[in-house]
Amino acid sequence: MKKTMISMMVVVLGICSGVFAQELSVEEIVKKANEASYYAGKDGKADVKMTISDSKGSARTREFTILRRDGDGGDQNFYVYFKAPADVRKMAFLVWKHVGKADGRWLWLPALNLNKRIAPGDKRTSFVGSDFLYEDVSGRGIDLDKHELLASSDTHYKIKSVPKDSDTVEFSYYNVWVDKKTFIPQKAEYYDKNDKLYRRVEAVKVEVIQGYPTVMEAVASDLKSGTSTVNVFSNVKYDIGLSERIFTERFLRRPPKEVR
Amino acid sequence: MKLAMTNFSIKHPWIVMLVIVVLTTVFAIQFPKVKFDNDPENMLSQDEYVRVFHNQVKEKYSLYDFVIVGIVNEKHPDGVFNVETLQRIHELTYELLSLKQGPDGKPVVTLTPRTGDKSELTIDLTPESSWSRSLNTAFKHDPNRLFDDEGNSAIIKREIISPSVVDSIKQSELGSLKLEYLMEAPPATREEALVLRDDAMDNPLYNGTLVSEDEKAICVYIPIKSKTYSYNAAALVGELTKGWGSDDQVFITGQPVAQDTFGVEMLVQMATSAPLAGLVIFLLLLVFFRRLSLIIAPMIVAVISVIATMGLLIGLGFDVHIMSSMIAIFLMPIAVADSVHILSEFFDLYHRFNDKAKTLRHVVGHLFRPMLYTSLTTIAGFASLGMTPIPPVRVFGLHVAFGVALAWILTMTLIPAYIMIAVPHKSLKAIGRKRSDDVSTHGLFSVVLARLGSFSYHRWKLTLGVTVVVLMVSIYGITRIQVNDNPVKWFTKTHPIRVADVVLNNHFGGTYTAYLTLSAKRPDAHNCEEKAKVISAEAEKRFRAVLPEATDAFLIKLGELAQLYRNVNSSDMKKCFVELANEAEKIDGEATVSWNTLADEINYLDPEGLTYVSLEASVHKLAGVKDEGKAVLLQRLADFKGLTGDELMDKALAISEEYADLSFREFVFEMETELTAPLFKQPEMLEYVKRLQEHLKDSAVVGKTSSAVDALEKASYELNYVEPPADASEEEKLAYATRNRASWNVPDSSAAIGQVFTQLEGMKKKDSLFHLITKDYQEVNIWVQLKSGDNVDMEAVVAGVESFASREESPVAVNMGWAGLTYLNVVWQDKMVRGMLSSLISSFVVVLVMMMVLFRSPLYGFLAMIPLTVTISFIYGLIGLVGKDYDMPVAILSALTLGLSVDFAIHFLERVREEQKKLGSWKDACTEMFKEPAKAISRNAVTISVGFTPLLVAPLVPYKTVGFFLAAIMAVSWLATLFILPAMLTMLKAWAFKNDS
Repeated sequence: MKKTMISMMVVVLGICSGVFAQELSVEEIVKKANEASYYAGKDGKADVKMTISDSKGSARTREFTILRRDGDGGDQNFYVYFKAPADVRKMAFLVWKHVGKADGRWLWLPALNLNKRIAPGDKRTSFVGSDFLYEDVSGRGIDLDKHELLASSDTHYKIKSVPKDSDTVEFSYYNVWVDKKTFIPQKAEYYDKNDKLYRRVEAVKVEVIQGYPTVMEAVASDLKSGTSTVNVFSNVKYDIGLSERIFTERFLRRPPKEVR
Repeated sequence: MKLAMTNFSIKHPWIVMLVIVVLTTVFAIQFPKVKFDNDPENMLSQDEYVRVFHNQVKEKYSLYDFVIVGIVNEKHPDGVFNVETLQRIHELTYELLSLKQGPDGKPVVTLTPRTGDKSELTIDLTPESSWSRSLNTAFKHDPNRLFDDEGNSAIIKREIISPSVVDSIKQSELGSLKLEYLMEAPPATREEALVLRDDAMDNPLYNGTLVSEDEKAICVYIPIKSKTYSYNAAALVGELTKGWGSDDQVFITGQPVAQDTFGVEMLVQMATSAPLAGLVIFLLLLVFFRRLSLIIAPMIVAVISVIATMGLLIGLGFDVHIMSSMIAIFLMPIAVADSVHILSEFFDLYHRFNDKAKTLRHVVGHLFRPMLYTSLTTIAGFASLGMTPIPPVRVFGLHVAFGVALAWILTMTLIPAYIMIAVPHKSLKAIGRKRSDDVSTHGLFSVVLARLGSFSYHRWKLTLGVTVVVLMVSIYGITRIQVNDNPVKWFTKTHPIRVADVVLNNHFGGTYTAYLTLSAKRPDAHNCEEKAKVISAEAEKRFRAVLPEATDAFLIKLGELAQLYRNVNSSDMKKCFVELANEAEKIDGEATVSWNTLADEINYLDPEGLTYVSLEASVHKLAGVKDEGKAVLLQRLADFKGLTGDELMDKALAISEEYADLSFREFVFEMETELTAPLFKQPEMLEYVKRLQEHLKDSAVVGKTSSAVDALEKASYELNYVEPPADASEEEKLAYATRNRASWNVPDSSAAIGQVFTQLEGMKKKDSLFHLITKDYQEVNIWVQLKSGDNVDMEAVVAGVESFASREESPVAVNMGWAGLTYLNVVWQDKMVRGMLSSLISSFVVVLVMMMVLFRSPLYGFLAMIPLTVTISFIYGLIGLVGKDYDMPVAILSALTLGLSVDFAIHFLERVREEQKKLGSWKDACTEMFKEPAKAISRNAVTISVGFTPLLVAPLVPYKTVGFFLAAIMAVSWLATLFILPAMLTMLKAWAFKNDS
């Protein structure tokens, strides 16, 4: 729990099971990977530049700052504040992630002077139109899948995760390659119900920041539609002492100093 | 010289036979290479502008051809919105989503019934009848082909439109908004089903498209990778829904299905009509000549011509298209025509020579010229199709021309060779004697012909008068011709596709699709001066009263920058705004910073237990905030001393922000957003699109239009929706409703529009917004649903849009472009009509010249053109008068008519000259003409018209049309020849026969 990080956009939640040379069980590997991906530090902040591209060569960019604060029992709060393009400037999102139950989501649209609560829905839907899913941003519960250690190389664990309830997800399973040193999931590949690879999420660049291995560039690709999204992280900081009160509706209307 | 070929054949019949057998074999072995193409899109060449544009639009907006599946329930009081029907639709959707290729290549779907376990089902779409199966084998149609070479499904699953997989924005508990599929799970109760109904009905994107306004029908749109899968995809749906019972009727339609089905049935048609035509001609010849051994020869000529022509077409690598599928049926009657002339005369004259070779030499000798010329004119008629701008028509015309040429050569060689080898003297003698009786004036046929001849001669004025009247009426009819086509109408009215078309267009906005796209005429055009004007006006409004000096300072800077950056491109525009923002920040100065700091500090206070007193204390402690500011805040807040906690904080914040917001920098950002917004994030452009849609809706054929504006307005409504409190009075509720209704609109700023669009981008079905707008928001696509696929209706819609565009100018100049199959049809039709007209004119001229050369007389040349001119005028006049659409099959008939109907005139005039020379008197010659020569012409006319009649029983309308009109053309030109020509000659005998008398 002490770890932190802000890799909300990293996707991949890897979890795996498997015992191997390091005598780590697959459950332990998965747990460590989850912590490395989503729980670095008590809280954190990052600037994100998101580029959504399609096979026709069009590219859209979005810039936002994201704040994260850990609560109890794995619960976390996120605050996403948009800076570009111009029309969505000052738009904000608030997410209360609850482990094992539905998330809370709020939306602030400054040009409409509108604060709206979004009912909990499918977490496997696109995050602001990108190829990342909400679940990639906030993490997929490690108990939702059954994990199996497929292989262990010098550098990586390869873990296969099969959903316990396959009706709620669009994939039939996914494979994750977890870095043995950092426990950062390097790559996740999703297979559809016809056993075809259709989606990939990769951590392209990882740096150590304040002692925490941190994904600095992540790519999600939809192999069926030919679209992909790159998130480049910068100004990553951990343990900055974010107030719990920032993650309330009040701060949607007037964004916290930390994001401006 | 002209007998060279025939003499050789008479002398060496076996060699001729051998050569023909070898050549035929060479052509026949091309057949296995055959490829079929039943896509009417190919009526336009690949690089045709509109086709290129159509494909660009499809690509740009990720649009696909759809198989449209309509589920109609007329029995249930709730229509389709009942638990059972919705459950079925849900299951069907998931079955389609689960489609995969089994190990044996057959489609496999996963069944997920509400009760019971999942199971996999392998489906075999092979038809049950062995006839259909053998056709599929012959035409290489694999009914289970639903996958590409890599085994990927031909159905583009992520783009399926069905209640189970389309987005819905709806209000949920506690004023929250729910973003999920319209039918996440099938409803379990009637109440749930009705909620789903209301959700669907309230969504302008679905009402009239996905669900019918009368609540009786739901459409599922199945996108397919290419049109050629649509027949099989439709069959798959048929298979998956076959156990649905009678309450839920399933209708499958859509242009792709219509086109693909037409292709498949076209093959069946080919396999039946052509042999049937062959059989009919054979029987007819049998009636005329009564000797099997004799009439086999023309049949062989016909069959070889067809085999060679199709072999050539396939060998050259052309696909068999709708047009070329008709080659056999066209060629067969034409190919036997010359042989019929030869046989006819051979019969009548054999008794004179009693020698096969001599008779043949005589007959061929005097038929050579007319036969050559009739063939040449027919060839000219078909070859002129080679000049049309429509590739399949070109291929068709040139190949038929080849076939006719070949038939002529075969007539000159194979017929004599065959008679030499296979027809015994004995049988000829018998026939000869018998037929010599016939030639006398006793037969009924002969009597009728003789009377006809005498009528034309004696009543020539009446005949010509009637002709003139007919011509005038015809010309009137021609002026009323309506060019129109609709591939769905290529099926007979009882065909399931036609039925589905009627039913679904009755319930829905329309199953015919066209896309109207709008894009900027000059992207990236920026007028700095204009923008500066807007900014300065807005600045005056906002700041003048409160900050007069700062406003002046700002306007000066603005003026300088506007001067500096006059006519710039968009990247400089950005720089310009950055500079302006920097200047504005300087003007804002410390006051704004101070107010913002104050607001932030207040924002971070703990509202728990906050009172005016504690707030006042906190404010006083603040560093980095100007004292004047603190004083203003506290003074204004003094009126609200009674407030505590959150309420007090909100008030304090509101006051601070009121001042903090008086920022020129923020103002510049805001202006930048508005003034540099992409075209279709600008409110006035979206309003324009909305007006355009309203205008489109006024047309009776347009059932529905959908655009990004519809999605935007719906989202804006749902986002802004406020549920009236439970205890609200009626009056209050009304006020809420009015307020809510007002937000069903285009938001009034680019920022607001952009923010609502961003929500739509993040819907559950990713990117579905981008079927209607490009990702850069510079271009939009309006999906127009038409209730009719008739070209005239589509043309009317196009014209309507043009008149709208000229009446109402777009705020920014835009290009409007049409795409979609319904529109493509209009374009190729138009080309077809023009192409046919020019080919008709050119072949008319060619034939006229040929006639003048043939008869070595301009007068006879013109005379020869008269029957066909009358025929063509009459046929097209008739089409105009009875209101039959001038469609694809009718169009190709024009060039054809010319080549065919001149034949009679050639034979007639050629004989007239001969007889005139022999008898010296036109009166006698005319009587003679209506004996044997008229009979030969009549036999031919009957053979050809009857030969085309099997087309009348065809299940596909274009073939019926061709069958009917060809028969009509033959009949009319036969009559025209036998009536008008003698009458004309009687009138003109002084000129026509001056050399002879």
